[in-house]
Amino acid sequence: MHVVIATDGSRESLAAARHLQSFADPAKITTITVVAVIRPLAAVAFADELSPASRKGAGAETLSFREAARSAVDTIATELRKWGPKVKTKIRSGSPASEIIKEAELTDAGLVVVSAGGRGLTDTVLVGSTAQRVQHYAPCPVLVVRAAPRGGSRKRSR
Amino acid sequence: MADTGITDDRSQADGRPDELTRSITGRLLYFYVLGDVLGSGIYVLIGAVAGAVGGAFFLAFAVGVTVATLTGLAYAELVTKYPQAAGAALYVNKAFRNKPLTFLITISFLSSSFAASGSLASGFAEYFLSVWDLPPVLLITLAFLLALTIINFIGITESVVTNMLMTFVEVAGLIVVMIIGVWYIAQGNADFGTLTEFNSEGSPILAVVSGVALAFFAMTGFENAANVAEETIDPKKAFPRALVGGMISAGVIYVLVAIAAALTVDVGTLADSDAALLEVVKAGIIPVPVGFMTILFAIIAMIAITNTTLVSVVTQSRILYGMAKEDVVPSAFAKIHPTRRSPVFGLAFSFVVVAGLLIVGTLLNRAGAGIDVVERLATVTVVFLLFIYALVIVSCLKLRGHDEDEDTFRANTPLLIIGLVGNLVLLGYVLYDDPASLWWVGGLLAIGVVLYLVEVAMGSRNRPPGAERGDPGIAREGDR
Repeated sequence: MHVVIATDGSRESLAAARHLQSFADPAKITTITVVAVIRPLAAVAFADELSPASRKGAGAETLSFREAARSAVDTIATELRKWGPKVKTKIRSGSPASEIIKEAELTDAGLVVVSAGGRGLTDTVLVGSTAQRVQHYAPCPVLVVRAAPRGGSRKRSR
Repeated sequence: MADTGITDDRSQADGRPDELTRSITGRLLYFYVLGDVLGSGIYVLIGAVAGAVGGAFFLAFAVGVTVATLTGLAYAELVTKYPQAAGAALYVNKAFRNKPLTFLITISFLSSSFAASGSLASGFAEYFLSVWDLPPVLLITLAFLLALTIINFIGITESVVTNMLMTFVEVAGLIVVMIIGVWYIAQGNADFGTLTEFNSEGSPILAVVSGVALAFFAMTGFENAANVAEETIDPKKAFPRALVGGMISAGVIYVLVAIAAALTVDVGTLADSDAALLEVVKAGIIPVPVGFMTILFAIIAMIAITNTTLVSVVTQSRILYGMAKEDVVPSAFAKIHPTRRSPVFGLAFSFVVVAGLLIVGTLLNRAGAGIDVVERLATVTVVFLLFIYALVIVSCLKLRGHDEDEDTFRANTPLLIIGLVGNLVLLGYVLYDDPASLWWVGGLLAIGVVLYLVEVAMGSRNRPPGAERGDPGIAREGDR
């Protein structure tokens, strides 16, 4: 089975990848594609909060969203490689949901893994989150991983 | 299984095959440039330009777009060499390797973008009032800016298609003006003598230069195309074509619109109008009800201005994000909303600064200073941009022979030098003609310095002792 794991550079997306590892059988997964989608017209086209290097490196002078996406997929791919299956990485640009679906169709994926995204009013009422759109239109089953209950770690500690 | 994983790791590190998909085609980029350039000035400033030059004000647009396109050549060359989102700051850094200069450019670009947003928001309000003139101007401008900030937070601007549709609407509006002009000429009413008339005071050349200085605002916006450089398919071919093609198209449209406006409406009426292109529509030349056309055209103008302002709000928060990553402004600007993936604090800050500019402008006006906020902010934008453009051309020339390969786009050197001279002449004229604009320039630059000082004061707590500012590899307390 081919599995597509989407990352938006958030910790939640790394948690989603880890969640897959926590229960799935690596012997049954032939290939994993880690995909990141750059949104060229958004205020911040891609923000990588995963890899330690990118926390400082790219700045006002060298701002490269492609590098940010690159380091985010590499961080997740590196973790997954220890697990077993063959891991590919892919960076696409455009609207996240439709690019994730395209990748799933292209690779004939058997599963798409995304993190849940928000559940606030703006997310559900105004536009609908990426995860919701992927659920609606994906050509295969979708694993939507919810993060631990809000404020569990970072927010409450502040 | 573990073995395949490792071999795969190696092959990935070497070639990384078939993983690049970029989404912006040359055509989309062309519309992006065209939409950005068209919205930014003609709807807002044509009256002021007409007032400065006289009937021949189309010349100001022609000269302005020429200088801007020559600068665009330098941008096109640099973008094909360094296709990253940072734009002018990146090029100047590559050319001079001088931190304070790069910082100055970044702050100047940010400031010009703030001033442009303010100017555009005021222009939006003037068209809005022609449809429904109840609310006070300041309220409309602030509501407009707030709405755009929220749109950018949610991320609706991600859609390239929306952007292209808006550009079609903008062009449609200007085509309406041209049709009115052609209709008028076909009726035989046109007096072509108007097109060679200059403002009675002073020499024609000075009149044109002062017009260019104002009209130059209408040519800006193309520099935002660097925002999407990384995601352009085949940037080395697509970028120069789209950028120069977009600018030339915009220039031709401008000149034709300016001629149409000059022929159909008295120059004095244009100059006195807050929403000058509406006067052309209101003249009732084509056999369509004026009331309907006025509202339709006002809506088109508002869409045009919205499009450009959206991009400038994106640019502002993007620059702040980059600077925060670089550690020259407080790290809050790099904070990304967990689910919307937007820089909340940066967007809010931009809103506050632009709103502040508009409120200060309005208050000064009430106090009897007689300031036209739109024109004032447009001039301030132009001062910053002329400075940046000149430096970008110098950077382009200085970086010749570096990072080149056989398919790098190479701009014509004499043309670049003409562009450089053009930018400097205009900069000199604007500062000579309107030294008061330096106060506003200084005020906006001061915001940058304050941010930097806040970072110096607060930031040292975040760094381990002895670590340098911007040192990569230091993770902050909050990041762990």
